[in-house]
Amino acid sequence: MLLADEFFLIAHDDTDGRRRLHGRATDLGLAGALLGELVLFQCLAIENGIVTVIDRQPPADPLAAVVLGDMLGSPQHRDIRTWLAYLSQNASENVAHRLVELGFLHREESRILWRTTVKYVPVDFAQTGWPAPRLRMSLTEGRPMDLHEMALASLIEAAGLFETVVWDGNQAAARRYLRRIVSTLPASLRELAGHVEAAVGDAVLTHRG
Amino acid sequence: MSKTGRNRPDRVSQALASSRLGVPAVVFFVMSAAAPLTVVGGVITTGYAVTGITGLPLAFLAVAAVLILFSVGYVAMARHVSNAGAFYTYVTRGLGRPAGIGAAWVALLAYNMMQVGLYGGFGFIAKPLLDEWFGLDLAWWAIALVSWALVAILGVMRVDINGKILAVLLVAEIAVIVVYDASSLLNPSGGTVSYETLKPGNLFVSGLGALLVIAVTGFVGFEGAAVFAEETKNPRRTVPIATYVSVGIIAGLYALSAWAMTVATGPQNIVDTARKDGPETIFVLAGAHLGTTAVHIGHALLLTSLVAAMISFHNTIARYAFALGRERVLPAAFGRTSRRSGAPKVGSLAQSALGLLVIVVYAAAGLDPLTQLFFWAGTSGAFGVLLLITATSVAVIGFFNREPNGESAWRRQIAPGLAVLALTAMVVISVSNFSGLLGVEPTSSLRWIIPALFPLAAAIGIGWALVLKATRPDVYRSIGLGANSSIGRTGPSVLAPEAPVQPRVGAEGVR
Repeated sequence: MLLADEFFLIAHDDTDGRRRLHGRATDLGLAGALLGELVLFQCLAIENGIVTVIDRQPPADPLAAVVLGDMLGSPQHRDIRTWLAYLSQNASENVAHRLVELGFLHREESRILWRTTVKYVPVDFAQTGWPAPRLRMSLTEGRPMDLHEMALASLIEAAGLFETVVWDGNQAAARRYLRRIVSTLPASLRELAGHVEAAVGDAVLTHRG
Repeated sequence: MSKTGRNRPDRVSQALASSRLGVPAVVFFVMSAAAPLTVVGGVITTGYAVTGITGLPLAFLAVAAVLILFSVGYVAMARHVSNAGAFYTYVTRGLGRPAGIGAAWVALLAYNMMQVGLYGGFGFIAKPLLDEWFGLDLAWWAIALVSWALVAILGVMRVDINGKILAVLLVAEIAVIVVYDASSLLNPSGGTVSYETLKPGNLFVSGLGALLVIAVTGFVGFEGAAVFAEETKNPRRTVPIATYVSVGIIAGLYALSAWAMTVATGPQNIVDTARKDGPETIFVLAGAHLGTTAVHIGHALLLTSLVAAMISFHNTIARYAFALGRERVLPAAFGRTSRRSGAPKVGSLAQSALGLLVIVVYAAAGLDPLTQLFFWAGTSGAFGVLLLITATSVAVIGFFNREPNGESAWRRQIAPGLAVLALTAMVVISVSNFSGLLGVEPTSSLRWIIPALFPLAAAIGIGWALVLKATRPDVYRSIGLGANSSIGRTGPSVLAPEAPVQPRVGAEGVR
């Protein structure tokens, strides 16, 4: 499973598919995860808030290829915050669609009056439930993580999902471990998480209402 | 990088522009926070009653002129800083981090005063109306507690009052004000419209300072347009235009209303009428010619206006605390949000706790909800905001001295410099008139205690900043970055330890 898939599954309830996190943070977290996938594919580097495509070869995953194509198609936009804002607009829909294709979710339409709402519900609880418990074990037990899992953990914290994942046990110790993990991340991924956290914070500050 | 991107319409820009704000949206947001009917019905009438002077219409125009001058530099600097909605960010970037934290503390105190003051106003104004409409005879504090509970719940759950509903209420409020004003002007006391209160002589009286602070009260919230600097269609134009338009509309509306009241009562009678009828003044005047339906509509809108203002100030304070929590200047808990709703939960709860405390203390001590809570806290808070605006104007000059950023001398130095002179004069006159503002004897110690709270808050903030500098330099470095502190430094849950210290600013320069 790719980074954004796991982020999506953690950010939604594993039985009924409802959101566990508010909308903007979910969308920005997913946008960050999509960029993170490209960093992990070694297509993208992030430095001083600027994204640079370092490998134009499209990755095997179709959605990741589309994101890379968007970036190649708009070379004048290099501010990472622009890309987070842009990708966040359709990130939920796109990633959910990918999870449907993989057979993890199925699409449910419901009509209330004239409005059709679409919901993505996990197909099999046992199957989809696993990224969150695995991440929780890694964080609370201080297990070694691979780069993929470290990137996931950093984005989870940045979007504000840490307490959803580590809901029991010693949160303070898990957070300390996470901080150590994050400090060993490659610069691009570390900066990505920092920008996601900042974008989520800015969304709270500029919330109208 | 790519050959394809040049000639096609830019999909990314188009997609982002679709969700961006134009001038009307920003003006609506700023104005709904300003709650015009609360100011016209509550602040102006109480202002006449407490100060006993009639220069208010001109005071609104004079303050508007100064604020426009101030805004020239303010909106110019908004283009170059992150977290652009908060005065303390400007002070930090212009005058240094200790001054910035001092300003943040002053802002928290001032906005909280204005927010809790509204509970007193709501309790006092709603009490006779609930009795009249529903036969409910409740104490002011019981009514205030109901509104408090509503604000507390909405604040944590972030159940947004729909922007369209707010817009409709705002337009309705303005319509009511304009109709009431027209009625007053068409039915002048003694049969002729008097321009007496518009003569400059009314302004330059011994109570000028009090008038100016009351006028500032009406404008608080005008700074809000800058919050959306990064969400607007064209930040270079939208934020400045929205700011000027908001100040212009507010000034015109309030000056007109303040003047129209004096026309209806006759200039010599406005003070006595306002002392007798209080916030009912505008309804008594309107009821004489427009009938009871118009009065009922106005009453209902005054209550919704007060509640909208409470919620708006509550959210502003919670967000201030959130930004400071993200910087770790306040405990990190303030920088977290409710997961499901995204509300800045801890800041919201803290503000609600303070509101509850104030209502309980005022009820227990038997203090007057209208003058001693609504008016004192509201205008004292406005005095705090006046101090902040003054400091911000100095900061604008300081900032552009170091980083001119290609702005013209008018925006960098001349306009902010003139604003500093005018604002400083306003502060000096206000302090000398503080007893008149509060309506207490010149010998009362309150006239010194209340204005002294702000320098005290600033001193505590500066002290705290110096403690941070010595003990937690990483936190100290990120002061003023707001939500963007996560890419400015190390710290708990901060994910980019060695990332560069100038995140957004650097990126924006490139745009």
